[in-house]
Amino acid sequence: MILDVIVRSLRQRDRLIPVEALLGNCDGSRMPDVVAELLTPAIAEKLLEVCPTAAFGIEEHEGHRCLQLSYGQCIGCGKCMEAGQGSVIAAQRFDWCGVAKPETVRSWDIDARAEITPHVPSPEQARGQIHSLLQRALNIRQLDAGSCNGCEMEITALTNPYYDLERFGIHFVASPKHADMLLVTGPVTRNMADAVRATYEAVPAPKLVIAVGACGCSGGVFAGSHAIVGAVDAVIPVDGYIPGCPPTPAMLAAGILAVLRRRIAK
Amino acid sequence: MKENAPGVSQNGGTPPEAVLAIPQTKQGAVARLVTIFGSLGITGDKRVHYVFDAGDSDYREIVRPGDRPLDSIARSVPAAAWYEREIHDQYGIEFVGQPDPRPLIFHDNWPDAVHPMVDPVDDVPWSNREYRFLQVEGEGIAEVAVGPVHAGVIEPGHFRFSVVGDTVLHLELRHFYTHKGTEKLFEGSSVAAAAMLAESVSGDNCFAHAACYSQAVENAYGIDIPARASAIRLIGLELERLVCHISDVGGLCTDVGFGVAAAYAARIKESLLQASSQCCGTRYWRGIAAPGGLRFDFDSSKVFALSQCVAQAHRDFSDLARLILETPSIQNRFETAGILSLKAARDLAVVGVVARASGMDLDVRRNHPYGRYGLYQFEVPVTHYGDVMARAKIRIAEAAISARLIQETAAALPEGSVSVPILVQGEVRSSSAVESPRGELYYWLEARDGKLTRCHIKSPSFQNWPAMPPAVAGNIIADFPLINKSFNLSYSGCDR
Repeated sequence: MILDVIVRSLRQRDRLIPVEALLGNCDGSRMPDVVAELLTPAIAEKLLEVCPTAAFGIEEHEGHRCLQLSYGQCIGCGKCMEAGQGSVIAAQRFDWCGVAKPETVRSWDIDARAEITPHVPSPEQARGQIHSLLQRALNIRQLDAGSCNGCEMEITALTNPYYDLERFGIHFVASPKHADMLLVTGPVTRNMADAVRATYEAVPAPKLVIAVGACGCSGGVFAGSHAIVGAVDAVIPVDGYIPGCPPTPAMLAAGILAVLRRRIAK
Repeated sequence: MKENAPGVSQNGGTPPEAVLAIPQTKQGAVARLVTIFGSLGITGDKRVHYVFDAGDSDYREIVRPGDRPLDSIARSVPAAAWYEREIHDQYGIEFVGQPDPRPLIFHDNWPDAVHPMVDPVDDVPWSNREYRFLQVEGEGIAEVAVGPVHAGVIEPGHFRFSVVGDTVLHLELRHFYTHKGTEKLFEGSSVAAAAMLAESVSGDNCFAHAACYSQAVENAYGIDIPARASAIRLIGLELERLVCHISDVGGLCTDVGFGVAAAYAARIKESLLQASSQCCGTRYWRGIAAPGGLRFDFDSSKVFALSQCVAQAHRDFSDLARLILETPSIQNRFETAGILSLKAARDLAVVGVVARASGMDLDVRRNHPYGRYGLYQFEVPVTHYGDVMARAKIRIAEAAISARLIQETAAALPEGSVSVPILVQGEVRSSSAVESPRGELYYWLEARDGKLTRCHIKSPSFQNWPAMPPAVAGNIIADFPLINKSFNLSYSGCDR
């Protein structure tokens, strides 16, 4: 009976994913990356046309035409990869979890075929960075503002034996009054707007807020609906954004740690 | 074999019926209500569609004019109550004699006079209506209000318990906190693109929604999808069921404080999600099903690897399930908790695991076979106890059947293409049903020249939520989380 269950669990090999393998990992998220060398004006126009959530844009920047990709709007549907003739591929690495809003947008100079302020992957000092976070605890209250429950499934997965967020001293709590951080999913619906504000009010300062998923970051596929108010930042202040539809547990873990790191560095 | 039964609805063009004659089964019983929804004719006239399952191979659809008040059928068919309230909120159609005329999907902030399916919805003003909960009066009765924000990683909804001591006398649900106006968002969308909206109706059942929507489009244009696409869809649908059932049994263990078993179930579930990610690049099979088949072909060797992982997960889960069911403290908590009687189940026309645990023998895969289900022989587990244990046992039995179906299909995966082009033109109406992990999921759609003019989603959660109060009444309030978990309904799927 219960002893049998424990014996079976002890026989299992260790599934814990080391922190180095979590940060930057976006397997299963279908987030896109742009191969700047292959960009042409025609392809850029095509990307704008096929994207269902208007995540792509074209803007003038110092006399150059620039392709912009807003990860907060991307639902990872892969239409751009189908239409991009090789210029859009599935991202091998993703470092835009937990970043501030302006950083969720990347730009490429279409004529020069290069990224503007290209992203340099953070040095592989993950373990050291995480060590600086240890000896602390973080209490998270998850708040569903109208999500489809896809993000909830992945947040729940954070506590399974593969991701085990508790190893970082991070703990999900039942009350906003016990929380340091709100992890808010979904577009904020009209029917949830008051509850979202009240929950935010109940969190003691400093209130950290992360908007999770395409809906939390931008409204996602529900942007423009009569029944929603908007993205999370339309209702309460947001410290960091975790894109994805839904973000994978690795992306969630990376995003939570990134926001925490920024907070401690302040 | 027809790949996409149940077929195109026949009566979109027939004149509406003035009086509703509720269909009967061959045995003379009232047919099971599948759904009721509103639509607009080409001249803007309101219509109400009633869909019943009378035990035939196709569903029976009856259309009535909705421009004048209609008589409510909620007193004779209690399952109709929420549908009528929803149609009133969406279309402003009156139902005379409706036992509960309160708004359903819109809350205090929504003005009475705005019905989004017929009225403009730009800048709808914020209003402050009053909502009255049912009051239970008497000595020693206390009210316990829970939600919309719950303690845990759970979706939002409000529960109002009237209790005497620990015992729940009455539970009133107030949902639709996650109402996102999804049915309205479908309107004007191209039939090809809307599959991704369907995927976001209920995230953990996203593949069932995408497949059901795609099937409805294929039925509308009379298209048979290639055998390979159909087989891969079957794998996706059964994998989703397997993942959900493993997750739900683990969740039941969490709710009775059996943490080791819960972690064990979470591990098995995660192994399947990672195998999916390896197989098709997405953990929950998003962005795969589309009208006409699949968005891309699968590597047969990767499907085989997935099927091996399923075999391992099945072995691990059956071992775990046996241990869980043999644990006396589990038996003590699960047995006799949250009994849903067969009568209540029939009255409320519940579907899925909840129905089968209360003695209703129904499964869309067998009763209205679609895709490749007609090619397989499989058992539909049914029991009559209707308690938490019954629902847990049905889930465990179904997980084993799903694992077998995945392995059989993967072992004989047809070759060929995975998609056929669809020429979207003209005016079409059609429907489709799929047995999602939570039960019968039904899409009805209407399109003109490739653009959707109406898409209705009957979600199993919308159907099953009203069965929660009768199952909870008489139990202690501390058992509510367990009973709720044993139903495992989606809030977003219900609220849409």
